[in-house]
Amino acid sequence: MLGKLLKYELKATGRTFMPIYAALLIAAAVTKLISALTAGGSEVPEFISAIVYIMILMGMFVMTFVVMIQRFHKNLLSDEGYLMFTLPVEPWQHIVSKLLISVLWNLGSLVAAFLSIVILTFDEIANRALMLDLFAVIAEFLTIFGPTGSLVVLEIFLAGIATTVFGILLIYASIALGHLSNRHRTMASLGAFLGLTAFAQILFACLTLIPNVRVLQHYMDTLQESLQTSIALFHYVMWFTIGFFTLLSAGYFLITNHILKKRLNLE
Amino acid sequence: MNAILECKGLTKSYGGKKALSDVNLTIERGRIVGLLGPNGSGKTTLIKLANALLTPTLGEIRIAGMEPGTGTKKIVSYLPERNYLSDWMRVHDIIGLFRDFYGDFRPDKAYDMLKRLNINPNDKLKTMSKGTKEKVQLILVMSRESELYLLDEPIGGVDPAARDYILETIISNYNPEATIIISTHLISDVEKILDHVIFIREGQVVLSSSVDEIREQGKSVDGLFREVFRC
Repeated sequence: MLGKLLKYELKATGRTFMPIYAALLIAAAVTKLISALTAGGSEVPEFISAIVYIMILMGMFVMTFVVMIQRFHKNLLSDEGYLMFTLPVEPWQHIVSKLLISVLWNLGSLVAAFLSIVILTFDEIANRALMLDLFAVIAEFLTIFGPTGSLVVLEIFLAGIATTVFGILLIYASIALGHLSNRHRTMASLGAFLGLTAFAQILFACLTLIPNVRVLQHYMDTLQESLQTSIALFHYVMWFTIGFFTLLSAGYFLITNHILKKRLNLE
Repeated sequence: MNAILECKGLTKSYGGKKALSDVNLTIERGRIVGLLGPNGSGKTTLIKLANALLTPTLGEIRIAGMEPGTGTKKIVSYLPERNYLSDWMRVHDIIGLFRDFYGDFRPDKAYDMLKRLNINPNDKLKTMSKGTKEKVQLILVMSRESELYLLDEPIGGVDPAARDYILETIISNYNPEATIIISTHLISDVEKILDHVIFIREGQVVLSSSVDEIREQGKSVDGLFREVFRC
């Protein structure tokens, strides 16, 4: 059933994102083309085209955020919820399907932004020397970590996913908590959002200050400009971040699931 | 044979205001039941509780012995009193969705009924009138072969000619083992198809009786309703 939910979620959101991605890439290409054609002449057409490109780029990230909220709120907790919650599907499957597709579009928007930049800087990329320089810098950065260089890439990727998932589940849990209120559900959701954010920050502060003081102290004592210790500290911070956000995400998921399963009251 | 729907001390309140209070009710299988009451009497609340769209404040509700959940959703076909379909979808997309999720959905039945009501399966919901959307929803719901149909105001928004067709559809599509609960305040229109009636007022069941018993007293359901709910 989860697979079917994913299919419909992808269909329902793809019709928004695919045209935006297409528009972004076209705007980048047009900007590039105008810039090439008007080289040495008026800069006005290129300027206008660049503005359009930037507007689409910003619009894309705004839409990624808006669609994430709207799919959860409108599709599950408004009129459409009457259909979604009468399908023979467990509430957790609704949450997971919405979450996974939302993560997918977050990544998709990043890829689209990256591709549009590739289009805009096509000449520079074609100029291989510059690209080789860039790769050299990245490679050099990774060699600092020695044999754990590839681990760093994995850590950065996982931390990116963990914080994205955290952000999405924070919104879902806020909307779900707001749903518990009989009236003023939007205000209650906003309140829940502030509360959950504050909770995350306090917990983060407590966890980093209390148990980590000794860990950090240990590192500081042995630091003495030692590269090995700095690298170990970097890995420690990365895994701590991944673990922290994964744990909080699990908590927010359980809150959301409990409310949708046991406390649902559609208007 | 267990009852298809059973309520024990079922109560639902919204911030202190009781929408249903201490409802005790048993509905046997194989009946067409009218859930009748004026606006705001608790009909929709009862049906939403049966679909797990609302959580009871007190008491319990069971469908075929189960608490409302994934198990009951497989055997209950529900028509809400509002439009729950996404506007951007086409009718055949939604038929695909029902086929994907409900094992008891019969697409051929749905296409057949669409044809008879002159609804194009390629049309988007967005382009349809309110009445046509209601017909689409009813077609979807009646194309399932469920054990229990919960129809909330199925004829409220359509013209009298379509009403007759819809009632005919309801009767002709239903198998004698199944149960249909129809909530409405348009009693004279549905009276002829009902086996059993439940009168509900201000969140309480005031009468649960077979239509035969009412007729034996020389009354019509419509007449009795006017008597009970006299303003």
